[in-house]
Amino acid sequence: MAGSLVLELDSHIYRLEAVQKAAYRFIDRLTVLISERDGGPIVCEIEPIAGGTTLFDILLADFKRELLDQQLRSKIKAETEPVRNLILAYAFSRSGLQQ
Amino acid sequence: MSKFQRLDFYRSQTGRYHLLPFRFERVGDGEVVVTNSAGEFAYLTPGKLKALVSHTLPVTDPDYTLLRSRHFIREEDDAASLELLALKVRTRLSRLRDFTNLHLFVVTLRCDHSCHYCQVSRKTEDKAAFDMTPETASKALDFVFRSPNNAVKIEFQGGEPLLNFPLIRHIVLDAESRNLDFKKNLQFVISTTLSLATDTILEFCRDHNIHLSSSLDGPEDLHNKNRPRPGRDSHARFVEGLSRARDMVGYDSVSALMTTSPASIGRVRDIIDEYLRLGFGSIFLRHLSPYGFALKTKSFHEYNAETWLDFYREGMDYIIALNESGTRFVEHYSALVLTKMLTSNDPGFIDLMNPSGAGIAAIVFNYDGDVYASDESRMLHEMGDSSFRLGNIHKNTYEEVFTSDALLSTLEDSFTLSIPMCADCAFEPWCGADPVYHHARYGDILGRKPESEFCKRMMGTIKYLLNAMKDAQTREIFDRWVNKC
Repeated sequence: MAGSLVLELDSHIYRLEAVQKAAYRFIDRLTVLISERDGGPIVCEIEPIAGGTTLFDILLADFKRELLDQQLRSKIKAETEPVRNLILAYAFSRSGLQQ
Repeated sequence: MSKFQRLDFYRSQTGRYHLLPFRFERVGDGEVVVTNSAGEFAYLTPGKLKALVSHTLPVTDPDYTLLRSRHFIREEDDAASLELLALKVRTRLSRLRDFTNLHLFVVTLRCDHSCHYCQVSRKTEDKAAFDMTPETASKALDFVFRSPNNAVKIEFQGGEPLLNFPLIRHIVLDAESRNLDFKKNLQFVISTTLSLATDTILEFCRDHNIHLSSSLDGPEDLHNKNRPRPGRDSHARFVEGLSRARDMVGYDSVSALMTTSPASIGRVRDIIDEYLRLGFGSIFLRHLSPYGFALKTKSFHEYNAETWLDFYREGMDYIIALNESGTRFVEHYSALVLTKMLTSNDPGFIDLMNPSGAGIAAIVFNYDGDVYASDESRMLHEMGDSSFRLGNIHKNTYEEVFTSDALLSTLEDSFTLSIPMCADCAFEPWCGADPVYHHARYGDILGRKPESEFCKRMMGTIKYLLNAMKDAQTREIFDRWVNKC
């Protein structure tokens, strides 16, 4: 189909959750169907939504940048998860709200 | 010899640091904003963000010290970092412990105006069936004094509440009498157009320290167009009522709110000039909400978030220029967001709270005894949607109302840290849940954020403020807006 694209992403580099989050952020501009084959790449079938005004190529470039951002967010989140829980534990200690 | 060690003394010798939780968002070409869970922020280039996350940001980099001081990174021996960050998070959430502060009493649905964008489904002036009774008011006061909050604000809403002034008088006297025992910090507000404010009413307001929250949409032609009433004299009545109210109740006892109607678009400077001409020191550039007559008359659909943002940005450019030239003038919506950006405090504005402020920061007692989670919730009910009706004070106990599924499910399901996109958004600490808006607009309390007008409006507002405060003079102005002492 004209104006659609299949993007294959290395699953060693991109986490599925990061790809899903990137697709969600573009839900108003792109339809992204995601699948993952065993040991293979994460596959994104991408189409622009009907009636959109931005060029598909520009949207795709933005989507690829968003994939990198989401992968970085995923890395920060994983690395800081224990300390995030510790901060919340500190924050709610002695508040009476945890009872 | 200096009494202090040189900066080098405090620098890490190893160059090793740990990341603290933070989120980031691109805000323009070549720039990202990083925020921590307490809402503190810093601007970085994408290259520096990558270096930061890769643990290769040099100790000598100017941003290293900034990121350490704002709790984005900590070194091995930074024992206080976690506790300081936790303390700031706790301060931001401290309002939750206080519970409900604002109690709205809809004393009548009758109104002398017929504004086409009115967010309350008004009734005509002569239908007393839409007035709250003293019995209902007394039951509502029982609820008010059950609130654990030591600060309680009672706000009288309508319709035009002054059409049922005898009940307002009754409620104020009853509340003051009860408060002799409770000793709460009790405040009263009447939301009124001032068109029916007699000297007797204003004397009562003066004697009981009642604040008047009025409505001014701009210059006379715009105000009268927005707010039709018999005689087409809404603006003249407002100006006359404002003057008398300031004389009798006190100059600062009267504030004004404006609503951005489709006719307001393109006239933001005229509107601000009118506020200045009438001696106001602030304005709230308030967008239309998707409730009541705003929907029925299609006013709500006549402009979108981007159009409102153009209106807002032009207004803010003008307001900043006014402040720079020596006229102190505040835009309240920005000040609310800036309070979250520049301080550890949450201003407690219902739309910008997480968990949502519906029910737990404000509650509404309708004229018929129905209890709603917010003013917007009762507007929805008038449109036939009772999703956020929490009960009725004649039939339900305090415990039943505040533990109702309609309230608890809404709060839990709309918690922004669990919502797709919000959970990873760098602007989340400055934003809010607003489940009632999303339900009204999109049919579910989350809405898809990329399509949400609320999200677009917040993103646009925050990006404007982030960009504006890069200018040192503007940052000083914003600091003065949010640090009032």
